[in-house]
Amino acid sequence: MRTRTPALLLLPGLALLLIGFLIPSVVMLFAPPGVTAADIFGRLGAMLSDPYDLRIIGRTVGLGLIVTGICVALGFPIAYLLARSTSRWAGVLLALAIFPLLLSNVVRTFGWLVVLGSNGAIGQLLTGLGLVDAAPQLLYTELAIVLGLTQLFLPLAIISCYSAVAQVDAGLDDAARGLGASRGRTFWTIVIPLSLPGIVVAATLVFAGAVTAYTTPYLLGGSSQRMLSTQLFSYASVTIDWAGASATALIMTVLVFLVSGLSSLVARKGATS
Amino acid sequence: MRTSRPVAGSLAVLGYIIMIVPILFVVATSFTGGRTLRFPPEGFSLQWFEAALTYDPFISALVSSLQLALIATVLALAIGIPATLAIHRGAIPGKGVIEGLFLSPLIVPELVVGLALYQQLMIGFGLANFETLLLGHTVLMLPYAVRVTGASLALADPALEEAARGLGASPLRAFFTITLPLLRPGIFSAGLLSFLTSFNNVPLSLLLQSRDFRTLPVTMLDYVQQSYDPMVAAMATLILAGTVVIAVIAERTVGFAKIFGGINR
Repeated sequence: MRTRTPALLLLPGLALLLIGFLIPSVVMLFAPPGVTAADIFGRLGAMLSDPYDLRIIGRTVGLGLIVTGICVALGFPIAYLLARSTSRWAGVLLALAIFPLLLSNVVRTFGWLVVLGSNGAIGQLLTGLGLVDAAPQLLYTELAIVLGLTQLFLPLAIISCYSAVAQVDAGLDDAARGLGASRGRTFWTIVIPLSLPGIVVAATLVFAGAVTAYTTPYLLGGSSQRMLSTQLFSYASVTIDWAGASATALIMTVLVFLVSGLSSLVARKGATS
Repeated sequence: MRTSRPVAGSLAVLGYIIMIVPILFVVATSFTGGRTLRFPPEGFSLQWFEAALTYDPFISALVSSLQLALIATVLALAIGIPATLAIHRGAIPGKGVIEGLFLSPLIVPELVVGLALYQQLMIGFGLANFETLLLGHTVLMLPYAVRVTGASLALADPALEEAARGLGASPLRAFFTITLPLLRPGIFSAGLLSFLTSFNNVPLSLLLQSRDFRTLPVTMLDYVQQSYDPMVAAMATLILAGTVVIAVIAERTVGFAKIFGGINR
C-alpha cells in the first residue's frame, strides 16, 4: 500500500465515529443544552446524597453484582461440562446456549411476563395446587429483574468461560486425579485457577450488560423498581431534565469504565505473575 | 451429561431452564384461543398471528426495522472493512489507538449513546430520526466489522497478495481476487451479527423514534405497556422463527462457533 492509502481508508470510519458517537457523547455528558458542567456535577453530588437516587444506584449495582455472581456460578459449570464432554449432544447444547444471543431481548424478556404474571404459569401452578390463595406478586419485583437479566447474560458468561476451559489441557485434570486428588480438589486447584482469565471476562461482560440493560428493568421492574437505565429514560423523555439525564449517564458510563479497567488490570496482573 | 457430577449437572440444568423455558412459554401462549395472556393457554388458534400480521403499527415497524438493519449493516461493512485493512496491513502510526477507537462504541452504554444522538443530532441539529438511527446503528456495528473481519484478515497470509502483485496484478485486482475471497467468512459473520444486533436493538433506538419511522422492538415494548393481549406473543414467535432460520443458515455456511468469535470479546 502506498503511504497515503491507509489514511484514506480510515477516514470515513473516523469521521463517522466523531460525528455519530464521540462528539455528541462528550457534549451530552458535559455540556447539554442550557446546562453547564458545574450544574451536572452539582446534580451528581445531589444524587449521591439523596436517599431515593441512592436507592436506584444501589439497586443497579447490587442487582448487577447478584446477576454477575449467578451467571458465573451457572455459566462456568455449563461451559466446563460442555468443554469436557465427548457426547455428541454437547454440540447441540452449546448451540442452544449460543442461540439466545441472536434472539431479540424483547422476545426473551417477554417470556417472563407469561411465567411470572398474575395469570402466569407459576401463579396458576401455586394456586392450582392450593398452596396459596392468591397468586403472589412476582412481576415488578427485584427477583423478576434478576431472573430476566440472568436469562439475558448467561449465554455471554457460558461462551467466555467455554473458550477459557477449552484451552485448559484435560490431561492436567487426569494428572491431578492420578496423583490422588479428589474430583472437587482437582476442580478448585487446577481447572478454576487456569480458567480465571475467562471467568474475569465473563464477569465483566455480564456486569457491564446488567447495569446498563433497559428492556429488562422496564418490562419486569416497572416503575416501582427503577434502575439507572429506566431513570435515565424518564429524565430524557418524560421530565426533559438534561442535567439529571447527563448525571445519570455519567454514573452509568463511569460504572462500566470502572469494571472494564479493573478487569484489564486483573488480566495484566495475571499475565505477568 | 454424566450423572457423576451432581452439583455441576444440577447447576447446568438450572441454567438451561432459565435461558430456554421462558421462550417456550412465549410460543405456547401465542397459539392461545383465549383473549388474555395467561398460562395454561385456553384452546388453540392462530387468531393472534392473524391479528399481529394485520396490525399496521407492527407491520410498518417491521419493514422499518428490516430497512434500517440492512442499510446500517451494508454501511458498517463498507466503512469498516477498508478501515480494518488499513489497521492490519497499512504502515500507520498508533495502530493500537486507532483500533481502540473503532472498538470504543462497545464500551459506552448504548442508552447513553442514544441519549447523546437524540439530544445533539435530532433535537440540536434537527436531523431526521431515520438518519440519526442509521448513523447510530452504523457506529454500533463498526466494532463487529473491524473485529470479525480483522480476525479473518489475521489468518489470511499477506504473502499471497504479494505473490499476485509480483505476478503482475494491480493492487486492486490482487485485493479483489485474493484477499477479499479469503475474508468472505469473516465478512459474512460480521454482516449477520450486525444485522441481528441492529434489528433487535432497543437501548440505542429507544429515544430515536418518530411517528413516521418506528423500530419493531420499541413498538412492541410500547404495546406491552398499554395492552396485555397475546398479540405480542404471536409477533415474538414470528421473530423467533425468523431468528431460527438465520441461525440455521449461519450454522450451515460458516458455523456457529466462528460467528461468535465476534461476540466473545
